[in-house]
Amino acid sequence: MILDLHAHSDASEDSRAPLETYLKWLQRKRDLLPIDGIVLTEHRQWNPAADYRSLEDHYGILILRGAEVETEYGHILIYGVTDEMTRRFDFANVRLTAQEVVREVARMGGVAAPCHPGRPTIGLCEHYAAGKPPLEGVVAVEALNGGSRRGENERVQALIDTYGYGAFGGSDAHLVSLIGICATEFDDDVRSTEALVAALQGRRYRPVDFREQVRAARGAA
Amino acid sequence: MSVPVDRSVVGQEFDRTTFPPVTADDILAYAAAYGETDAGWSRPGPDLTAPPTFSFSLRGSHFMPKNLPTHLGRHAFDAGKDIEIGVAVRPGDVLTAVSTVHDIYEKTGRTGAMTFVVFRTAVTNERDETVAVIDQKMMFR
Repeated sequence: MILDLHAHSDASEDSRAPLETYLKWLQRKRDLLPIDGIVLTEHRQWNPAADYRSLEDHYGILILRGAEVETEYGHILIYGVTDEMTRRFDFANVRLTAQEVVREVARMGGVAAPCHPGRPTIGLCEHYAAGKPPLEGVVAVEALNGGSRRGENERVQALIDTYGYGAFGGSDAHLVSLIGICATEFDDDVRSTEALVAALQGRRYRPVDFREQVRAARGAA
Repeated sequence: MSVPVDRSVVGQEFDRTTFPPVTADDILAYAAAYGETDAGWSRPGPDLTAPPTFSFSLRGSHFMPKNLPTHLGRHAFDAGKDIEIGVAVRPGDVLTAVSTVHDIYEKTGRTGAMTFVVFRTAVTNERDETVAVIDQKMMFR
């Protein structure tokens, strides 16, 4: 099962991609992008009222939700967001303490996973290199990010080798045509947020990269 | 790390300007300025309406409030507009633009921390119909 674990719809202030257009795109590009579902990880927010079941049913694509928050170690994806988490942390605060986020989210039944670790300023690698103590309790990092520039994803492997983090992938799409270009292949069936959290806590997944075949298809068109 | 941003000015109205009645010449000049060829927007006559973007050319008395927090940053640039277009503008319409500080938020990116201020300008006509709602973002650092 393949899920894009990192995507932003137009609910994020820097995205212009309506959710339904993502779904139409994935439906149309099924041969190139065999994505079974996406996880919306809007920036610095959580909308408890969002309900996408009718879109899921219509397009046959799983839609799960998480959030992307900002800390002194860079950006962190939270999967399995609960009301307890949103009471504990102000997701709009760009000064969250990473260690607290990782520890507390885990305690509350979720997973907090640093994203685009190789990115300057907002990625984990730079902060470790600067001498900050390694975060305790990190189970996985986004090893493959579709929005990364040359060299940024490559920096992450050393981090994984050193600390034994699980590695997953996500498109980090802010534009419709970028949805699903990087994703995560799970060995197990992941049909719910709870199942996603459980899967991430295990290691039966890996990042998958569709960028080359998308580029090739564009070149052939 | 920097101090949290002061959001006390959010919601504050900082400009309210009512403009002289729109004339057909105003509309035609605006359309001509960017080479508009659609007859409905560029040909004099009873069916003339302003191009949808006409209200963006209006300039109130203040672009931003005088009491904007000073710690937002030394540098600022235009970070784009979100525009919702309402009813058409016709010759004789009297437009009023009301500007408020709609939002202030922070984010971090590859190049560091940024603060965004969103100035919302609501343009209405003399019938109180919405002509446009313009969210102008400015990024400070």
